[in-house]
Amino acid sequence: MSFFIIMLKEVIDNLRDKQTVFYALLFGPVLLPLLLGGSMVASFKQLSIDFDEVTTLSVVNADKAPTLMEFLYSNNIDVVAAPINVQGSLRAGVALVVLEITDDYAEALREGTPAQLTLHVNNASKDSAKAARRVNAILSLYEQTISNLRLQHRGIDPSIFDSLNIVQNDVSSEGANGQLLASILPFLFIMSMVMGGFYLAIDTTAGERERQSLEPLLSLPISRTQVVLGKYAATLCFVLLSTILTALSIFTLFKLFPVEIMGGQVRFDGATLTRAFLLASPLVFFISALLISVSAVTRSTKEAQTYLGLLMIFPMAPFFLLQFLNIRSTLVTMPMPMLSQYQLLESAVLGDVIPTLHIVLSVVGTLSATGLLLLLASRLYQREKLLD
Amino acid sequence: MIVADQLYKSFKRQGSSRRKPETQQRIVAVNSVSFKAEDGCITGLLGPNGAGKSTTLRMLATLVKPEKGHATIDGNDVGTQVLQVRKHLGFMPHNAGIYPRLTARENIQYYARLCGLSRVQSQQRTGELVEQLAMQKFADRRATGFSQGQKTKVALARALVHRPQTVMLDEPTNGLDVMATRGLRDIIRRLAAEGHCILFSSHIMQEVAALCDHIAIISDGTVAMEDSLEGILQRTNQTDLEDAFVQATQLSNSGADE
Ligand SMILES: Nc1ncnc2c1ncn2[C@@H]1O[C@H](COP(=O)(O)OP(=O)(O)OP(=O)(O)O)[C@@H](O)[C@H]1O
Ligand SMILES: [Mg+2]
Repeated sequence: MSFFIIMLKEVIDNLRDKQTVFYALLFGPVLLPLLLGGSMVASFKQLSIDFDEVTTLSVVNADKAPTLMEFLYSNNIDVVAAPINVQGSLRAGVALVVLEITDDYAEALREGTPAQLTLHVNNASKDSAKAARRVNAILSLYEQTISNLRLQHRGIDPSIFDSLNIVQNDVSSEGANGQLLASILPFLFIMSMVMGGFYLAIDTTAGERERQSLEPLLSLPISRTQVVLGKYAATLCFVLLSTILTALSIFTLFKLFPVEIMGGQVRFDGATLTRAFLLASPLVFFISALLISVSAVTRSTKEAQTYLGLLMIFPMAPFFLLQFLNIRSTLVTMPMPMLSQYQLLESAVLGDVIPTLHIVLSVVGTLSATGLLLLLASRLYQREKLLD
Repeated sequence: MIVADQLYKSFKRQGSSRRKPETQQRIVAVNSVSFKAEDGCITGLLGPNGAGKSTTLRMLATLVKPEKGHATIDGNDVGTQVLQVRKHLGFMPHNAGIYPRLTARENIQYYARLCGLSRVQSQQRTGELVEQLAMQKFADRRATGFSQGQKTKVALARALVHRPQTVMLDEPTNGLDVMATRGLRDIIRRLAAEGHCILFSSHIMQEVAALCDHIAIISDGTVAMEDSLEGILQRTNQTDLEDAFVQATQLSNSGADE
């Protein structure tokens, strides 16, 4: 029971420490996903077009083509009057694209000759190019409708002209951007776990030695194993809290800014995130144990920060390793803590089928490593050198 | 009651990588410490810096294991009956070591809970100690920025929280002003009058002379003499504890040089 009292005290004590709280509850779970995830989402936004989003389009001579205007309107485009200086306002970015309808548009349509439309674009601007792509897509749809009508008018089945019906079905889960986005999830999870427990682990072990409060604590009628367990449990609380908050903030981020990546193959919905969280959860135990045992060796908080700072390479290593080496999930990688979670979470986000054996190996491997680390930590606490 | 019998403890010499004989690679912190501290008495462990006072107290507090010799606290062996010893012992180490982000009261309650008191009991006991040690003014303040005297009081309250029969204080008057020192002495006298066994380490002669019923003089890890103040003065033929101290340590050192 003593470990529970120690845990409570350490949690309360550290909740009063601004630095610990900032890194555990704000930096890992909120700032990091916002910075990394946010910038990635933003770049995807720029590339992908959301046809459901209502935008405006400046049109010159809108009154010449009422049917087209209706078609645009039904495709979520509100038509507005064009600026007087078309080129100037495009260059200045006031208007993204301007559609110009020629004076003889209606006549040409009536006579069945090509009717001319001009789309003014500023390709130097990404936003303008993106808007142009959207308008182009809608216009070609309109063009097809008119062509079909003309053909039917002449008694020809329009489907003769569709010699090929090409459907692109991307079955790989290896698309470069999707892959990167998928690997960001384990990265964020592991980072927030480390950041969540980092300062608490240091404060409760090295900090306690530095404050010289360890000596009186160890002279109380409790075993040192209880002391280690209490500090471990406190770290666990913070790491767990940090991880849950991270899952929530990633969920919120992708809910607010949905991205359609690779035809919806990369998913960040509630079910996927829950699955990812569960797959990552053994790491909560592992990382807490790692933090506690490393900082148990150190004499001062400064030393602990140095060691644990180096340890930060651990969560990043698999990230880069997997980016460049393309290591596949195998029975060998699965028992490895961190690496296996990286692969499992990536698979979860990409919607791949994960063999049960892989999950079992990952859980067993990670928890066994945790056990060993805890054993090591409690050994370290039995040393007399601890009080030097 | 504390009985120490020829305690011995050495530490590895840091940074001695050269191939020296094993004996030269270790610092003997405590060579041969034997003394007795009775219940209802204030026993002083008097010795200069580096004499081995803190190491002796740490061995008695089961924080480090003696390499040779034995010691018992209220009949429990410090080497084998570790938890029993800790239950009977209140130990206040050299530095207060209190938690700065907790209030004085929370600091004390934490130890009370760890010693097995229930929440209600620990609040009650803390309240008692706050009153006994006159800590009302700062009891509910966070310990950041506490004065040395305030820190010492909190640390002492913590050491007393489980009503230990034996109380050990390592240089408790360090950094205290005259009034605080007097206050602390009164508390220590009161504890002894209640029947507790008090062991008190210090390098200040006057303090030991003023407070202690029984004195063990320690020098170079060895207890050179152990008696009441009068006994020590008589044995060394001196009128002043300081002279007696010098005499006693010289007596024990004659022959054995470091
Ligand atoms: N953990 C340790 N490692 C190495 N040497 C130590 C250790 N602890 C104590 N010593 C050495 O043992 C000797 C006795 O130290 P100790 O702290 O017991 O002295 P002390 O009587 O408490 O002195 P002071 O009055 O300065 O507090 C010193 O020489 C010290 O350097
Ligand atoms: Mg000392």
